[in-house]
Amino acid sequence: MSDPKIEGLQLKPGFRGMADDTGSDQTMFKGVHWGKAMMWIFLLSDTFVFSCFLISYMKGRGSTLVDWPYPSEVFALHVGGVSVPLLLIAIMTFVLITSSGTMALAVKYGYEKNRKMCGWLVLATALGGLTFVGMQAFEWSKLIEEGVRPWENPFGAAQFGSFFFMITGFHGTHVSIGVIFLFIYAYKVFAGHYENGGKRGWFTTMKGDYVEIEILGLYWHFVDLVWVFIFAFFYLW
Amino acid sequence: MSDEYDNNKTYQAQSSETMGGSAPASPDMDYVRPAEIPDQELYHGHSFITKWVFCQDAKVIGVQYFLTAVFTGVVGLILSWLMRLQLGFPGAAGFMTAEHYYQFVTMHGMIMVVYFLTALFLGGFGNYLIPLMVGARDMVFPYVNMISFWMFFIAVAVLMASFFVPGGPTGAGWTLYPPQTILPGTPGAGMGILLMLVSLSLFVIGFTMGGLNYLITILQARTRGMTLMRMPLTVWGIFTATVLAMLAFPALLVSAIMMTLDKILGTSFFMPTIIQAGEVLDYGGGSPILFQHLFWFFGHPEVYIVALPAFGIVSDLISVHSRKNIFGYRMMVWAIVGIGALSFFVWAHHMYVSGMNPWFGFFFATTTLIIAVPTAMKVYNWILTLWRGNIRLNTVMLWCLGFIVTFVNGGITGIFLGNVSVDVPLSDTYFVIAHFHMVMGIAPLMVIMGAVYHWFPLVSGKFLDEKLGKWHFWFTFLGAYSIYFPMHYLGFIGVPRRYFEMYDSPYMTSAVGMNEFISMAAFIVGAAQFILIYNIIKTLKVGKKAGHNPWKANSLEWLTSTVPPEHGNFGERLPVVHRWPYDFSVPGAKEDYITQTTPPSEVVHTEVEKT
Amino acid sequence: MHPGIIFFLVILGSVLFHIFTPWYWTDIASNWGGMDDTITLTFWVGGGVFVAVCLFMTYCVFKFSYKENRKAEYKPEDKKLEKILTWATTLGVIALLAPGLIIWNQYVTVPKNALEVDVMAWQWGWQYRLPGKDGKLGTTQVININDENPFGINLDDPYGKDDVMIQSDAINLENNRPVKILLRSVDVLHNWYVPQFRAKMDAVPGVVTFYWFEPNKTGEYEVLCAEYCGVGHYAMRGSVLVQNEQDYATWLGEQETFSDLIAKQQDLVIGDTKLAQK
Ligand code: HEM
Ligand SMILES: [Cu+2]
Ligand SMILES: [Cu+2]
Repeated sequence: MSDPKIEGLQLKPGFRGMADDTGSDQTMFKGVHWGKAMMWIFLLSDTFVFSCFLISYMKGRGSTLVDWPYPSEVFALHVGGVSVPLLLIAIMTFVLITSSGTMALAVKYGYEKNRKMCGWLVLATALGGLTFVGMQAFEWSKLIEEGVRPWENPFGAAQFGSFFFMITGFHGTHVSIGVIFLFIYAYKVFAGHYENGGKRGWFTTMKGDYVEIEILGLYWHFVDLVWVFIFAFFYLW
Repeated sequence: MSDEYDNNKTYQAQSSETMGGSAPASPDMDYVRPAEIPDQELYHGHSFITKWVFCQDAKVIGVQYFLTAVFTGVVGLILSWLMRLQLGFPGAAGFMTAEHYYQFVTMHGMIMVVYFLTALFLGGFGNYLIPLMVGARDMVFPYVNMISFWMFFIAVAVLMASFFVPGGPTGAGWTLYPPQTILPGTPGAGMGILLMLVSLSLFVIGFTMGGLNYLITILQARTRGMTLMRMPLTVWGIFTATVLAMLAFPALLVSAIMMTLDKILGTSFFMPTIIQAGEVLDYGGGSPILFQHLFWFFGHPEVYIVALPAFGIVSDLISVHSRKNIFGYRMMVWAIVGIGALSFFVWAHHMYVSGMNPWFGFFFATTTLIIAVPTAMKVYNWILTLWRGNIRLNTVMLWCLGFIVTFVNGGITGIFLGNVSVDVPLSDTYFVIAHFHMVMGIAPLMVIMGAVYHWFPLVSGKFLDEKLGKWHFWFTFLGAYSIYFPMHYLGFIGVPRRYFEMYDSPYMTSAVGMNEFISMAAFIVGAAQFILIYNIIKTLKVGKKAGHNPWKANSLEWLTSTVPPEHGNFGERLPVVHRWPYDFSVPGAKEDYITQTTPPSEVVHTEVEKT
Repeated sequence: MHPGIIFFLVILGSVLFHIFTPWYWTDIASNWGGMDDTITLTFWVGGGVFVAVCLFMTYCVFKFSYKENRKAEYKPEDKKLEKILTWATTLGVIALLAPGLIIWNQYVTVPKNALEVDVMAWQWGWQYRLPGKDGKLGTTQVININDENPFGINLDDPYGKDDVMIQSDAINLENNRPVKILLRSVDVLHNWYVPQFRAKMDAVPGVVTFYWFEPNKTGEYEVLCAEYCGVGHYAMRGSVLVQNEQDYATWLGEQETFSDLIAKQQDLVIGDTKLAQK
């Protein structure tokens, strides 16, 4: 499916050719797997969800009556008596970005039909995600212990707590769903569902293919990318 | 079909196959590029449950969507009767309190816009028609599609459940503006609003699943020869509407989540400092106008989500029944896409007097009036399609004509409301009610009815009765027009919308007679819909058999292997497309239509324009 | 009957209805005649388009209804016609938009000499506050509101002391003097709307919104709430009395100021303590 050569179509140069190619019969994105196209469009839609959240956050932060708390103080971690700002977040971010790396490698080995490597790397990604969720749970409980709630916040504007829990919670849900799927797909890779022409899916007639790992990867990279924005908006602003 | 496409060959083999038609003229001229995608394998249900309940056939899902949406529509209709009873004859319905009235307004508005029209056009017509019209065997992800319907079903169930919870359904108006929406003082501010928000979220999730299907099916699963510019306008309308929905519903979802948190956790996203009944509430610092921006960022595209499929469908109906190609097809496509894109930049025209920064008014008035241009082009093209056509004045065509009249009328009043300073005296009055009922209530309804009469022979294999159909049309069209045309003038007088009791000021008492008249008309229009139900029942029993392609149309949905189409749609071989679906009355052709699958070599003596 | 005839009658009926309707806007009583004029202009242009399009449609229905042996014209596109129509429409739209924007510009630019009126809304009623001799309104806060301070005026704001307080849903305005309506709400959205003045704006809790107009006809007018605000929305009414200069001045002189109110309250408190001492 990856052969981009299109027979029988003489494309005119320039914009016309591009338009003809885009509008040509059967597929708009030549050779792109249905599932992959679907994931891209879903992610576009999801981008709008997160954009709405973040724009609301900007608006909400701009119009509160009480001052916004200082992120470097709120998110500091005390290590051996010294308060290190943003330490936990730095580690969380590092873990998540690393898991994007392992995911990318998994995709590569998948296409090389290297079942073992692919499976282990998907599993490693899942564990990375799990670590992230774990650390996030730790951070939440720390903030809650300090008195931060969705409806109030001892450090300043109540909206800080509201937006923080809502947006990181929504992102954390995305990560958790990703982790569940990563485990399922790790199992599927090891079980050989993508070998020898592929095994049919559980509910569908579609045959398994390593492209599914790539599709899952798209989702995973997206979740990481969103985290970078959340990181910038909540911790650095 | 003069085509050598072989489903049994593997994909690789297909792409190296050389094409040729059986027609003698010239094998070259019938050339269609080889297949790019393998044929889809389908999951065929065998038990009753997998065939009719948890079914994966888009056509059955379409019908399921259709019936569920119509059910909600009937609920919405009954609510409108109750409201009109109160407005025309205050106190006539003894149980009607202001609380009830506002709950009915809210549920009626939300049901009609989201659960009735959106679900009907995209879920109903989208599912049934997209695979058929683009020449696919089914949607690309039949299983997800099935879940999509059941999500919608649960969303409807949750919505209907809110009628029965303590406090009743929410009475916040379909716009759900905070802070009142979640405060006592508004009916249903407890369980009612929560169920509404949950139901909307479920709807969005369900719709996303369906929407992905529609988009990928149109983008990646068309049959051979079906280029984008050969797709029927119905598909273009549904496609663009789905894109809008995928990008607009997120704003609804986010505002629903934030409002839910405001309600149950006591956050203050939308809640400023409030004193109610002398007590300061535990809220503060939030922005009610932020909600309005989010809501209308969804809400305005939403009206086009309803309108664009209607535009597309009506174009096809007019073309087929005028026996003439749609005039300016390319312009029509670009108008649909352009209107869709622009619709994301006009949302604040609903907020001219909301207290937002007044300088936004200039920008949004300009963008809003720009949309009028492509919209007007579409109208011109519809009537120019009629020009020198050979118009069958059957029921389907009547609905289309009714659509043109109501749509143009409602479009013109839209120019009043879009033009900031003209909106100031008119906003939040009955002028608005009349405007949007005309343009997005009645006009799309006309298209739905036309579409029902047009495609019923495909879905059931039988013609609906023409005579009953015409009665149905005239009652509905004349009735609805006499409801909403005079209603604009109530708005001029200054009668505000969402008023449980009409005003007793001297200048408004003059409207009593008009209100009684409008209510009578509303009862008649509602009752007239039972003609359709009777017609359907009668037709299913003793209707005239339709057979293959009864309207002599060109598009693929009429060229299926069986009528009604079976699962898989096209029998063993997928059709191959050689032209656009509008080759009607081509000079030199034997018949007045040339189907999309007719290869050029069979019609060499005609003067078709290359498409 | 031929369907075309009915469609024709519908169009004819619409036009006749518009000409002979007994229901039309209430006589204007403010400076916003420009809004009415733009509406009239839009009626001419828009109504013209509506009638033209529908008549053309009706004509086609008569002229081109189905005949077995006739063939429709085959003409997929007509670039020139489409271009003409696009430009004509664009021009029409500009002609409508321009006056709309010009008037909006006036609507959002408040004249300097406008009298500020604080309109406070709640579920479900209105009350008003006018600046005192200093010509300025004191600042307010929702949480200050209580029985002694019904408008929530900040006590440390010197401008607030002489504010005129009208604790009633009826207010008087001076004829031919521009007023700037400052809207605020203590609970939910509302909208202070008088049909004869044509103008309106939502009152939004948490912020102060505004609009202005100049009443130019004496008389009493009814105030309606034009933004849904809960079950009492339809009953949330008030009234405005537009008076000439002298009557208005007399009326204004009779109204209570914030310091009057404070003094009265202190009298009460003193009275209470005296009573207690006895
Ligand atoms: C003959 C059929 C219909 C009748 C008689 C009817 C009647 C009404 C009435 C009386 C109101 C309340 C007006 C008020 O008090 O403010 C209303 C509101 C509304 N209707 Fe309809 N309606 C009909 C069909 C539709 C359809 C097809 C739609 C779909 C777009 C629709 C959408 C709405 C909306 C969005 C509202 C506003 C609700 C709100 O203010 O929150 N209606 N309708
Ligand atoms: Cu809009
Ligand atoms: Cu109100």
